[in-house]
Amino acid sequence: MNLKSLAYILLIGTMLLVTSCSQNPVYKQYETVFQLGDQQEWAAKDLNAEHWTKHIKPIPDGQVFWSRTTIEILKTPKALHPYGLMLQLYGEYEVFWDGVLIGENGNPGQEATRDPEGKMWATFSIPTDLTEAGEHVLALRSSLYHFPDHIGIEEMKIDEYNELQTQRLIEASYMHLLAGAFLIATFYFLFLFVSDKKEFATLIFSISCFLLFALILAEFSKVYIAIHYSLHVIRLKIIGALMLGISFLIPYYFSRRFPFPKRKLLLTIYAGILLYFFLSKHVFELKANNMILSMWIFSIAVVVFGVYKKIKGARLVLLSLLLSVSIGFFTPFDKSLFVGFCLILLGMFYLLSLRIKEQRLAYETSLLQSTRLRLELLKKNIQPHFLMNTLTSLIDWIEESPKKGVLFIEALAKEFDLLNQIENKTLIPIEQEIALCRTHLEIMEYRKEIKYSWQDEGIDGSQKIPPGIFHTLLENGITHSLPLNDNSIQFKLIFEENSKYTCYTFLTFAKRASQAITAKEDGTGIKYIKARLTESFQEQWAFTSRPVSHGWKNTIKIYF
Amino acid sequence: MHILIVEDESRIAKRIERMTRDILGDTLHSLKYINTLHEALLFIENNPLDLVLLDLNLNGDNGFDLLATAVSKSFHTIVISAYKDQAITAFEYGVLDFVSKPFNRERLEQALLRSISNEKIETHEIKFLAIKKRQRIQLIPIEDILYIKGAGTYTELFLRNGNKELHDKSLEKLAQLLSHTFERFHKSYLVKMSEVQEIIVQSGSKYLAELKNGKRIPIGRTRYKDIRAKWV
Repeated sequence: MNLKSLAYILLIGTMLLVTSCSQNPVYKQYETVFQLGDQQEWAAKDLNAEHWTKHIKPIPDGQVFWSRTTIEILKTPKALHPYGLMLQLYGEYEVFWDGVLIGENGNPGQEATRDPEGKMWATFSIPTDLTEAGEHVLALRSSLYHFPDHIGIEEMKIDEYNELQTQRLIEASYMHLLAGAFLIATFYFLFLFVSDKKEFATLIFSISCFLLFALILAEFSKVYIAIHYSLHVIRLKIIGALMLGISFLIPYYFSRRFPFPKRKLLLTIYAGILLYFFLSKHVFELKANNMILSMWIFSIAVVVFGVYKKIKGARLVLLSLLLSVSIGFFTPFDKSLFVGFCLILLGMFYLLSLRIKEQRLAYETSLLQSTRLRLELLKKNIQPHFLMNTLTSLIDWIEESPKKGVLFIEALAKEFDLLNQIENKTLIPIEQEIALCRTHLEIMEYRKEIKYSWQDEGIDGSQKIPPGIFHTLLENGITHSLPLNDNSIQFKLIFEENSKYTCYTFLTFAKRASQAITAKEDGTGIKYIKARLTESFQEQWAFTSRPVSHGWKNTIKIYF
Repeated sequence: MHILIVEDESRIAKRIERMTRDILGDTLHSLKYINTLHEALLFIENNPLDLVLLDLNLNGDNGFDLLATAVSKSFHTIVISAYKDQAITAFEYGVLDFVSKPFNRERLEQALLRSISNEKIETHEIKFLAIKKRQRIQLIPIEDILYIKGAGTYTELFLRNGNKELHDKSLEKLAQLLSHTFERFHKSYLVKMSEVQEIIVQSGSKYLAELKNGKRIPIGRTRYKDIRAKWV
């Protein structure tokens, strides 16, 4: 199975999982009314609360106030399966159900004098005899010392008590499994980045995974850590900060893979928008919503651009983004958030795997290229033009002047020896290259009977260059040049260095032999030089080669 | 004989020159050595020559341009090259011989003798005849040529499509190059054997070959037996 179909199956699987989590509630909640003050009778089921207010102003100094909520139980619980009440609200309070105290969470009215007690999320068991189908009254005796403007029940749920307790734990444990996966991914991609610092994408992915891991922890730790309501805002701030990070990193990641014009400017603007939402005075949910929404819009825009540009992987990522949006429409915010993030991260993961594949291929190609270059260097002295012409001249020298013939053979042996030494290197000392050039000239003198001379200037012995590049230029110079009137051809290598680059200038002083050299295409020699420079210096070099009045001029610049 | 050596390796050029002088002795009238393609082309255009000894790789230039020009001329061309793999292409163009480097005196002598003698020599198969037409070299596929008629120092090529082209080489030189598929039927005719439809004997020992296109070509009296034997 290929990666693409696997990704599709994962996407569909996640969708099914998300859509199957809905149930019919066993109760119906009516409006809540409030009253400042503290009277025990206010707990009673049949109290006339007509004059109580639906909206109450912030109550200062942690004074006690009461709230009453009418609740209709739709289904009497099964025997031995009592109902429980789960509450999420700010404040310390006592819970009365039909006038009966069924639990307490902290010390209402005494917050100023006593240590904080109680937790943001609390579950209370309701006696079975009080939960027959019909109307009931939930009365809370509360005080709100820390956030006097956060009056009211944030969330409540009535269900079988056991169900309420375990459901949350099960949900949390699943989410923690997911968090564990993200943590492993975090380390894996972090190590990948450490081993190859150039791979910035793996770092971004690693950070994104870590942020999502932390986000899940921050979100679901409420199940097993008792958080006092006064500290809850810290948790929300942490979640907000994590979301800010994720909301920036995801589109940033996509923007690296699917580059678009004015990328930096647009990313800066986007970061500004996110920061604006993050720092705004909105309630937390709106902040989070705004950030997530802008992330989706920006990401989709980036990926759509990628699809438009037909960049590999863009279509699958777009699909995962659209899916995460559609999930957002029919699941509660906190769930859709994580599922959405998971889908997007899967998309990112897919892109990363594409990239790793590309790199592997590039690496294999570079290996192949290195081998090819090595062969090309080796071939220099056995290619027929060199070898056969040399041997023909050599035979002639031996027949005509054996002593000179011997010297010729020695020069030839020296060049072969030098070539053997550098054959498997990618960089060699410049001195070695110069020695190679000098020997080559010696051989060519026997062959062509032209006075070749070699000069170098300012050579820094510590410099290294790819093997055979000046040798190649020298060969070209010999091939394409005719001797000057005094039957000589001169070559000169000049080395210069400044703070930005080192520069080699290779000059030929001769008459040009043929006009055709200015042709558009590089010869194999020039291709060899360029490939060698790329192999050792990537893009950090420049090569020029052009005719000048005295012959030919080549320059090789290597940037730091 | 007038000979031109085109070679950019001075030592090798001198070797060829020395050996050629040695082999040909008094029959050699002039010998010129040139090391660039451009000069060689100029020289070929402006001087009468009998033989060109040509290196195909001159100063990085492709010698095949020069080769096409050379083989369209009246003289024979012998290629001396380091690249054995160019031999087949060179023969297809119509060179008389291909001497690969390194070479010795015997090999060069063999090649030179080939150019002196007008005897048929088994060469490799030639694919084209190069002709000069409107200042350009045109390659005519051998399979398009039906027969060739000598016309003084040059020859006329009669093609399958009815056209007639001129070639600068003598009938003798072409006979040498085309010995694979063509036969000398007459002192001024060279005919492709595969084109012969019938051999007609007329009264008075007059022999004629009828080609597939109906054209009749005389067969020399001395050559009749030989042709007859080959045709059957």
